[in-house]
Amino acid sequence: MVEAHTADLHGETKRKHGDEKAVVNREYLDRLIERFKDLISEVKQVAYNQWVVVTDRENLPKLVLWWLEESGFPETQLSTMVATDERPINGKFSVTYWLSVNAKAGDIYVGIRSYLPPNDLWIHSVAEKHGGANWYEREIMDLLGIDVKNHPDPRKLVLPDDWPSCVYPLRKDFTYYDSPPGEKFYPYRKTGEKEVVVPYGPYHVALEEAAHFRLYVKGETIVDCDYRGFYAHRGIEKISEGRLTYEQVCYIAERICGICGTTHSTAYCEAVENAAGIEVPERAEYIRTIMLEIERLHSHLLNFGIACHLVGYDYGFMQAWRIREHVMWLAERLSGNRKTYGMLTIGGVRRDLLEYRKQLVQEVIHKINTEFRELVDKALSTRTFEKRLEGVGVLPYKVAKAWDVDGPLGRGSGRDFDVRRDHPYAAYKYLDFKVPVQKEGDVLARALVRIDEVFESTWILEQAIDEIPNGDIIAEYREIPPYLEGIGMTEAPRGENIHYVMTGENNRVYRYRARAATYNNLPAVPDMMRGNTIADAPLIVASIDPCYSCTERVQIVDVRSGKAKVLTEEEFNRLSIKASRRV
Amino acid sequence: MIEKVIYSVVAIIILAFLPPFLDGISRRIKAILQERQGPSVFQTYSDLSNLLSMESNMPTDRLGFVIAPYVAFAAALTAGLVLPFGDFVPIAFTGDIFVFLYVLAISSIAFMMAGFLVENTYANAGANREMMIILSIEPILGIALGVFALHTGSLSISGIATNLSLAPSVLLGMALFAYAVYTECAFIPFDVAEAETEILEGPLVEYSGRLFGIFKWAMLIKRVVLIWLFSAVLLFPTLGRVIDFTTPLGSAVMLLAQLFMLVVFYAMSAVIEATTGRMKIIQVIRQNTLVFGVGIVVLAIASMGW
Repeated sequence: MVEAHTADLHGETKRKHGDEKAVVNREYLDRLIERFKDLISEVKQVAYNQWVVVTDRENLPKLVLWWLEESGFPETQLSTMVATDERPINGKFSVTYWLSVNAKAGDIYVGIRSYLPPNDLWIHSVAEKHGGANWYEREIMDLLGIDVKNHPDPRKLVLPDDWPSCVYPLRKDFTYYDSPPGEKFYPYRKTGEKEVVVPYGPYHVALEEAAHFRLYVKGETIVDCDYRGFYAHRGIEKISEGRLTYEQVCYIAERICGICGTTHSTAYCEAVENAAGIEVPERAEYIRTIMLEIERLHSHLLNFGIACHLVGYDYGFMQAWRIREHVMWLAERLSGNRKTYGMLTIGGVRRDLLEYRKQLVQEVIHKINTEFRELVDKALSTRTFEKRLEGVGVLPYKVAKAWDVDGPLGRGSGRDFDVRRDHPYAAYKYLDFKVPVQKEGDVLARALVRIDEVFESTWILEQAIDEIPNGDIIAEYREIPPYLEGIGMTEAPRGENIHYVMTGENNRVYRYRARAATYNNLPAVPDMMRGNTIADAPLIVASIDPCYSCTERVQIVDVRSGKAKVLTEEEFNRLSIKASRRV
Repeated sequence: MIEKVIYSVVAIIILAFLPPFLDGISRRIKAILQERQGPSVFQTYSDLSNLLSMESNMPTDRLGFVIAPYVAFAAALTAGLVLPFGDFVPIAFTGDIFVFLYVLAISSIAFMMAGFLVENTYANAGANREMMIILSIEPILGIALGVFALHTGSLSISGIATNLSLAPSVLLGMALFAYAVYTECAFIPFDVAEAETEILEGPLVEYSGRLFGIFKWAMLIKRVVLIWLFSAVLLFPTLGRVIDFTTPLGSAVMLLAQLFMLVVFYAMSAVIEATTGRMKIIQVIRQNTLVFGVGIVVLAIASMGW
């Protein structure tokens, strides 16, 4: 029945099989070792598909750049970078670049690591030659005070404008509730001749959250763009390391994002499971997959609606959100919540999928398949809509590769890269799906990738509902041993999410690093903006489906307004510091 | 005499107090098309009365900033007064067509001026866009009216409306005129000067309270004036043939027909608005230039007497 139903929707007689899944493949690591055997001092496996290679800091950029630029491995990616204050363990700092290979070539993550003596903290910049490392290196300068030599843009990234220099919050000797006062300053790029600054943000109707794109404009054309974000940085990692247990981090990880929370909690759980070697029961894997795909559906529908709204096509906006409502309702029936499902826990899931609710999923899938297809046909035949999307915000493949962009942004620019297929997690290894890739690299290509993914998601859901096995939904595990590490990876609706966890003592995480998809995508925005007009700017930003709080790792809280009284900025800061101490 | 008073009152009501209701209808239609609840048809009255009862924030102490909304309001209303309401024209004289064009342009210019008077890049960008639109659409409006004037040999709006016949050039002129009216009304896809999601309502970004309310009201009036002119140009050569609108009854029927067409055209533009996206300013200018080229051809045809 399921097959017949997709057949008439897609006009094919029988659904073609999707792509092959990648399998764990050590070959790439062996080639790295062979090439640099004199420079590598240690190789250790940390999880089934993860290895760490230790080298000294002089050679660190050489190895990283070889993997990313010279090796010729398919779709190499700088997946994340983690710097850790390991002084309480071994008296050193460590810096690790986590690299991966994609395009179904093999499931492997390699961390290239160097240890730094605490009194002489510096590394050579990779960002000098590979743009994708830019933000990572700026972040470790901010948070751990590791000096990155020859960095092309050593300005502040994460910390607020008024954060004092020489205070590094992610060092272990900094307590999570400290908030040192400082002076406000940020060196924006200066305006050139005949350029006008159009401040797109921090507050703008077309931005869902605070972010500041400073557009340098001549007439209507954007000549350059400067970005200042992380207004929503709340230091979730520091809180996780400082005062939460493994289980609690799971929920705060989910609250990293208001839209794709489950991918974050899944990635965190996987990281702990990978580190500690916990085997998740198959039924739990399926339930995770179902929740993740439901989340992807609602996120993609939301983004499609926003894209319509930004070009003034409100018919599409309203319809997309109406269709999305089916998904929200389904999520509520399955998990009890429209959003932030709270389903994930280390070792499995917290709620079982009841038999009779399978029917609900199938009904919703059917509705989406018909109604969304209809909407897409209407939208794409609306000339003004398509004209606004076509040829706008072009990101060529080479630039996309250089910035290590991921998700629909990367796939819209021809990067054949999807974590679900290239590093199968949860139940994706058992399921059949295709990874849509477009070559044009414009806003339209990204929209088309997302549209195709909506239909792939419904297909994945159908299979998952059909094939879900019986059994436990949570694995039992004993105490998690300290100082093990692992990364968890998921394909969020926006791209690759990588969470790194190093386990610690007393049921606490020693180091937690959450890297959201948008973290790799946002640095590419200036390249997409240049040459377009200010009318396109909101559309370009929306086309990467940015998630600022993901990137900046926050939770959003309601602030109850107090009595009306005008405070100077300094007073306000002092008050906030006092208030946060109390918490 | 009493008739004239009644017609004057009706004209003022149509020009000043009907536009919010038409906007309400338009919002309702959009809501139905987008399958949502939508506000009541009287919502725009509430919005305006809310705004008008509020103090305005003053981002600048320039006088022009305060005057601009009133100028726009007065200009839009005045432009409406040279149009025919049934048999009655509140202010009629030869050459009032130029007065109409100029006075209507004043309301656009007030809008533009409002944008340039504040130090806000979004307001300036909006004002720039408004200027580009005016410069590209006014010639088309001029050509369309020129075609009519050439055809009828009259320079007054009522003269044009009553003497038009349905020659090929006039029909083409009407198509041009419809396009120009729709663009001038700043309906989507031509609302680039405001473009909420791009430049935050452009010149209106710094306005609030009473001044903002007046501006909004003026823009609604301007739309009604333009569509009223269009429906007059459309109705007099067609319906005017069938009924004798110089009699009191005929005049009343004509007025009702004009009203009906006004609502119909407003509703049609709501449908277009609900189902298209906004264009970019470059695309608008390119398209207007193309239409202008077509307009020249139409003018040539008209001058040959077809």
